[in-house]
Amino acid sequence: MNEEVDGILLVAHELKAPLAVMRQLAFVFEGAGAKDEHVRAEMIRVSERAIRQVNDLARVRRLEDGLFTMEPVAVREVCDAVSHELSYLLGNDLGSLDVKYKNKSRLVIANRDLLYSVVYNFLLNAIHYSDDKMKTKMIVSDKHDKVKIVVRDYGPALPIDIWRKIKSGRVDKPTSMAMRPGSSGVGLYIASKFSEYMNANIGVVRHRDGTSFYIELMMSNQASLF
Amino acid sequence: MIFVIDDDRIMAKCIVSYVREETLVFANAIDAMDKIAEGIIPKMIFLDILLDGPDGFTFLNELVSYNDTAKIPVVIVTSLDINKNSLATYGVVGMLNKEIMRPEDIRGYVEQYSK
Repeated sequence: MNEEVDGILLVAHELKAPLAVMRQLAFVFEGAGAKDEHVRAEMIRVSERAIRQVNDLARVRRLEDGLFTMEPVAVREVCDAVSHELSYLLGNDLGSLDVKYKNKSRLVIANRDLLYSVVYNFLLNAIHYSDDKMKTKMIVSDKHDKVKIVVRDYGPALPIDIWRKIKSGRVDKPTSMAMRPGSSGVGLYIASKFSEYMNANIGVVRHRDGTSFYIELMMSNQASLF
Repeated sequence: MIFVIDDDRIMAKCIVSYVREETLVFANAIDAMDKIAEGIIPKMIFLDILLDGPDGFTFLNELVSYNDTAKIPVVIVTSLDINKNSLATYGVVGMLNKEIMRPEDIRGYVEQYSK
């Protein structure tokens, strides 16, 4: 890991404590007038999203230690859990999220926490940058020995250099994207690192009205209880 | 009396603001042990692990070394991944992750262990 990236990850680790404090400070205002209640709720949700991302970044440092166990993971359970968390974190900003399961196989070989983060980051980006009128879509399907999770993102087009990096399967550091204000590309960086660890492929398909981000994982043949 | 031991003063103040019971806040384990030595025995303790000076584990060791403090319920408040069961012999009754805990989690423990 190069020094620049290592520095970013160290900073992420340092940010965990202040973000947790900010979240608690928002809770302290419990009981404030109804007028300010939505501001308080928004402060909590924004801090929780930030905490999740710095936690993911801190995890990237720990990938080298190989501590994340690969095991059969129920795809539907993970996707449902991510949708549930995002519906809480984004509240009214979520719009409508359409999730379709076309897969017959139910288990993939992955680490649940890492897969959760990949799907979370794809969906969060898609929801954040989508035109309000567009639905965000997630489709889970399978082909041969792989399961594919596709998130349809109706946000601004992805810059060509980032698109190439994802196509080549390697986003080596967070990179700001001119067409997506406020984005540092950190979600894609995290998704790329976690996918690499799980021997999964991430990729993109460009559309005239957006982009589809996907991750392909190896199917597990172990019997499923879900 | 409830002890809150956390070197992050703002986090400690937040925890204190969630409870109605009388509380004492300590930024390190030594001050808390000194207070106990003066005869102030808390009903329960909210304890951070990463502290300046002796850490939370050292403090837990001290607590179980004395008869009058061995049974004090302790709730660990930390960002570290720690298995609660591994600390059960130290009187640890709960584990709260600073990043996801909510005021009602603190109040729940206070309700259960400080009466």
